[in-house]
Formats: sequence, C-alpha cells, structure tokens
Amino acid sequence: MKAGPPPECPPAILAQIADLELVARIIVEGLVSGLHRSPFHGYSAEFSQYRHYRPGDDLKHVDWKLVARTDRVYTKQFRETTNMASALVLDTSRSMNFPTAGLKSRAVSVGPLTKFRYAVIAAAALAHLISRQGDAIGLLAGERFLAPRAGRQHLRGLLAGLASLTASGGWSAADNVRRASERLKRRGLLFVLSDLYDEEERTLAELRRAARTGHEVVLLQILSREEIELPYRRDLEFTDLESGRSLAINASLARREYQDAVAAFLERWRSRAGAEGFQYSLIITDTPPNRALRNVLLARVTK
Amino acid sequence: MLWLNPFALFALALVAAPILIHILIRRRAEPFPFPTLRFLQPTRLAAIRRHVLEDIALLAVRIALLAATVAALAGPLFVTAARRQAWDRRIVRAVVVDDSNADLNVARPFEGRDRGAKSPAPQANSLAPHLQNTFEATSLTDGIRRAILWLDTAPPARRELVVASVFPIGSIAQADLSVIPDDIGVRFERTGTLPGTRTVAAGRLLTSGGVRAREVTLAGAQTSVRDAAVGDPMVWPIDVVSSKAEQPAIDAAVAAVLSQRVWAAPPDRRARLVLVEPTVVVQPAEPTVVVQAFMPAIVAHPSTPAVAQALPRDVAPEAGVSPGTGVAQAFRPAIIDGLSDVSPVRHAWIADAVARIAGDRELRDAAAGVAAGLSDARLAAAPWQILASAADGRPLAVAAESANRLVVASAARASDVTTPLLLRAIANAIAVVPDLQHAEVVSIADALLRQWSRPSTPPASPRIETVDHDDRRWLWLAALCLLGLEMRIRRARPVDASQEHHEETAHVA
Repeated sequence: MKAGPPPECPPAILAQIADLELVARIIVEGLVSGLHRSPFHGYSAEFSQYRHYRPGDDLKHVDWKLVARTDRVYTKQFRETTNMASALVLDTSRSMNFPTAGLKSRAVSVGPLTKFRYAVIAAAALAHLISRQGDAIGLLAGERFLAPRAGRQHLRGLLAGLASLTASGGWSAADNVRRASERLKRRGLLFVLSDLYDEEERTLAELRRAARTGHEVVLLQILSREEIELPYRRDLEFTDLESGRSLAINASLARREYQDAVAAFLERWRSRAGAEGFQYSLIITDTPPNRALRNVLLARVTK
Repeated sequence: MLWLNPFALFALALVAAPILIHILIRRRAEPFPFPTLRFLQPTRLAAIRRHVLEDIALLAVRIALLAATVAALAGPLFVTAARRQAWDRRIVRAVVVDDSNADLNVARPFEGRDRGAKSPAPQANSLAPHLQNTFEATSLTDGIRRAILWLDTAPPARRELVVASVFPIGSIAQADLSVIPDDIGVRFERTGTLPGTRTVAAGRLLTSGGVRAREVTLAGAQTSVRDAAVGDPMVWPIDVVSSKAEQPAIDAAVAAVLSQRVWAAPPDRRARLVLVEPTVVVQPAEPTVVVQAFMPAIVAHPSTPAVAQALPRDVAPEAGVSPGTGVAQAFRPAIIDGLSDVSPVRHAWIADAVARIAGDRELRDAAAGVAAGLSDARLAAAPWQILASAADGRPLAVAAESANRLVVASAARASDVTTPLLLRAIANAIAVVPDLQHAEVVSIADALLRQWSRPSTPPASPRIETVDHDDRRWLWLAALCLLGLEMRIRRARPVDASQEHHEETAHVA
C-alpha cells in the first residue's frame, strides 16, 4: 500500500509556536518519513547491512551477486563516515520583516508569518535535519556566527540563536556569503535563506566564488505572496522597509508592471543559479514549511 | 397607490446625501511598509478620479434604504382589487335614534336583535365597534347631520345611515334627506306606533282675565285646543320706561296686548322697553355726551320696585322737566348711560327673541308709518340691533342685552299703534312657544319611507385621513432588511481590506 503524503502544518499555526526546536522537530518528522534516502551525501561511506529491496530504492545499491546467489533482491546500506559541514546564511534585513506586524487587518490579528520568521523556521528544520544525521551545522546571521559543529548541544545553541534573531537593520548578502564560505574549513554546504533583494551581481559573484572553493550552494529565495502579486487596489504610500523611501501610487494601476518586473527578477535568479550550478528554490511563505523543504530535499535527491 | 402623508415624499431629496458622500469621499493613500520599491513604477493616484462613484452596491443599498424609509413615512396605501373588495364587503353604519317619543317605550334599533333569536339583519350585529355608531337626538334633522359628519370620517366601506323613529309627521322631510351624500345608503326603521289620540299641555297664556293654561288634544287629523283659568298671579314680563305723561297710553297698550292673549314668559326672562322722545339737544359745552334725551319720569306698569331698579341709579323719578326747556341741564350724561349700559347679545333666548321681533311683519308695517326714528346715532350701531325702521329710514326700535334681560329702545310714542304691537311682539318673543311636534299622532306613511330609502354604493377612493390600515409596515420591514444588508456590506469591507492587508480610511473631502 502506498503511503500518503506526510501531514502538513499550516504556516500560520507554526508561526504561533514559540518553541523553535519543537517547530523544527515537527517539520523534520514529516519530512524524513517521505524520503527514502539521505539528501545529504558524505564523501565516503562504509557498508552497514543488507535489507530487502523496497520500491524506490536506488538500483545501484542492489547487490546483484547476492541476487544471483539467493534469487532475492537485497540492497546494501552504508553508513556515512565523513562528516559534512554546513552553514546557514540567514538574511536579517528589514525587508525580511514582511508582511509587517501591526497592520490593521482582521486576517493578521493573530500575527502574520513574516518572511523572516519563515526563514528562521526553515533554517531550524534544516539544522535539525542535518544535525540528526550527525553532520556539522553552523549559522551566520548578521553579526551572529556559530561555527559548524555536530552534536545535540550545538544544535540547541543554534536553535536558541535562531530564536533570538530579529530582522532589523541592513544586511549584505555578498558579505555574508563570503564570510560563511571563508569560515567553512573544508568543502561544505552553504544554505542561503534570503529574499535576494540585495545587489544581485555582487551576491552572485560571491556565490560563484564560494562554489569555486568547493562549497555546494543552496539558494532558498523566500518571498511572500503579496510581494509577488501585489494584490492591493487602493492608493497606497509604499515605504521601503530598509531605506525608508516612500512612493504613493495606485496599486491597481501599478500591478501589471510590478508583476512583470518581479517575474523577470525571479527568472533571472533561477536561470543564473542554474547556470552556476547552484540549487535554487523559490519558497513562498504561504507554503507549509515541510512541503517547501521536502521539495528542496527531493530536488537534491534526484539531482 | 395613495400616500397618507404625501408631503413626506419631499424627504426623498435626502437620497442625494449618500450620492454626494460617495462622490466626495476621498481615500487617503495610507503609508504601507513594503520590502522594496525597486519593482514599483510611479502611477497616478486614484484619488484624482474621486468623482467616479465607488461602492456602487453599498450606494444602491443606502439609496434604497432612504427611499424605503421616506416612503414608509409617507404612508403608502396600495389600492388593490382585493382591498377594494374588502372595503366593499365592509359596512359602516350610523344609526340615528329619535328620542322625542321616549314616552312611547319604543324599541331600540338593533338592540332587540342582539338579544333575540330572530335576527333578520345579521350584518348589523357583526359590525366592529368602530364601524357603527348610534346618535340619539330629539330632532332627526340634527341626528342626521351628526351622523353624516361621523360617516364622513369613517374608514373606507359601504356607508349606511339608519334612521330609527316612530316617524310622526313632520319629524323628517325630503329636505332633511337631501343633505345626505348620494353614496350613503338610507334605511328607515320604524320603532313603534303612535297612539291614536294624545292630549298635551301647550303652555300658558296671559290674558286680560288672568293667566290661562292651554291644552291641546290631537286625535288623528283633528286637533282641539282648550284653555282653562289657573290661579297663578299675573306677571307682566316687560318693564316700560317712559314719561309720566305717557302712562295712560302705556296702560292702554298693555291692556290691548293682554286682550289679544300672549304667551306667558318664564320667570327668568324679562324685558325692558324704553320709550325715547326724538328730541335732540346739543350742549355746546359737552358736545360729545348728550345728543338724545329721554324723559326720566317713570310710568311703571305694573308700578313695582322692579321698574325703579331698571332706572339708572342717579335718575330720580321726580327729575323730569318739560321737554324743550333746560333739557341739557336736566339730563346728565348718566341718563344716557342708562341706555348705554348694554352689551351684545349673549343669551340664546334673547337672540331668538330679537329675531322673532324683527320678523313681526305687522310691527314692521306699523313702524314704517312713523315719521321719525331714533336720532341718536349710537342707538343705530352695535351692540344695538334694529328691530324696525321708521319712515325716515332711521331705526324706530332697537334691541340689545343688559343685565341678562332684553332691552328695547323705541322712538314711537306710547299712543302710537306701534307701541302695543311692539309690546305684543316682545311678550311673544321672550315666551317659550310650545312645540307640539313631539305630540303628533299621525305618522309618515311606510310607502314614503320606502321611497326615501336607498342602498349604499360601493366606496369610492378613500380619503387619506379615513384609512384605518395602510401598507407602511411592509416598507418598514424592507427598510430594516436594507439596514441589515447595509451593515453587512459595511462589515464585509474590512474583510476585503484584509486581503489587501490594509484598512482604508475614508473621509469626506
């Protein structure tokens, strides 16, 4: 019998859970049960045991000699012996603090799930998942840096660090990517969770440089549905969350051009990331985090 | 459709208010934090297009709400075929009951039917209280008039007038029925039968032989009158003020009147006749006071203190002087005040007496033969009323009221034939003439009553003030529903705004 998809927890509910470790565990529990193989590859692995073949297992791990001897299909399981070092680069700029809390609206009376909160939850889930595999995970978010380490104690410290973060002030994607790639001692995995509104060329250059140094780059561009579609109708005085500049326009009249510009921006990032060999995923905050991360991890597995 | 209060429809102009509000409303561009402005292109603001109506649905509901409220206040009445049929089925009835023959113990209309098992007119019993009214009157003419007034204010229905009486001859006539509007049905209910003969007292008479009581016997078409002497003292109801020299003539005039028999007046009805000589004396020193003199000497008939009381206080009976000499010195202004102490007629019996005296043709003819009338212009003006005029066109006799009695001033001499005619007219006018109508024993024929009867016609379009039920409740209900819808739409707007993640702020520019 085919198992159904793992249960998904709505983002609005996850946003209400203050315990970040609990949120991460909820997401990861629903995440790994749907994956048949580890999305994170070590650089060497030693044989662990045989087990019966199950649909979906990679055929390259089937022990064909054993099949010939026993007429039974077994797959070989390996234990990764080489630790992977990963770093979470989290955007803490004010632009991530959207939709803004305090907007006078019934729908947001319980508090909106901002991009930043979504990114924190996703980072926590990734950290939990990676740490669960015994790999080292680090964090670079603004001024806060935690060197990649493995272990439960480190994970708790990292989650506590994530929980204490706020999206305030400026943030340079290029500088943070460079700093993270320099802090990773050996080849590792670089997760960048950002809306990627910062200088595109410089950010891309730093990402390219990190890739050249042997790091694997995973770009998670986190945006809200509102900033993609601009669904407003009235006259609004838009105020830039980072620069403070404002522009009064009629949202209805500006929608078409805005959507075209955003679509071009996203397509540019997608194509450039693909060309550079980065794993790129656009995550919209109304997507349940476990579904979004599952898609990311599945993309890694099938890569 | 009728409007009970059509002036309320002027309030429909209020529907302009929501339209103006919706036109003039201006939505301020609200500050809205946003991650980046890099993809936003400057556009014109919608506020410059504010003459365009927004929220058409809300505007329509508000206009409909106002219109329904105004229409409800205007009191609509939908005159449908069903409603007309209901009005046509309904009867509103006025019953006029003749009370003048209460002594006959006649049946009350409809009361017997209410109590009895026999009910030939069931609709009479099923009328609601506000659809039937009974008018008791001693005069059917008066009762019919009151009934018509009530029917005029009755709710829309077939209107019917029922006259209940024994119907003695003269109790009602064609002229009384001509005032009834054509759409009102008329029905006559005979409530009993008149006795074959009836003897009634018909007042008292003053004669030269004393007071006599009159009795009238009505027997079918025959009427017999019988007078009998009674021992009551003779009370002559008219005080005469004149010069002493005129006393014999006054006595003769009164005797002549009594010989002709006049009706005896009730004790509370008194009159005074002042015979004024038409001598005009102008006093240069007091030109505004004395223009007419009358003789202060008294002739009292009967010569009692009552006559003295009728005189002005400061005029002594002995103060008289011969006319023509020293008149101005003898008759002070107070004398004239004795006549000027009069007021407009207030008592009904005095007004009735004045009218009856003025209607005496013999008196008018005799007065026309008198050469000169009253020369004092004040006696020809209010409150004096002219009873008869002399040959010179001036009033010969005038009347007014003074201290609850009738005062008549006359320029005729006591010896003139006009004076006894005036005395007779006054005596008969202030007396209560017996009305024998209620004693009539002959009734109006049934055939004539049937001829006068007619059915009621279907009600025409009702007058707005007579409508008892209108349709404003439906419009109030509609207004309530629209109010709820309007609130629902208004409450739904923030939800829409939540999708936009902002709440609009509106104010009237």
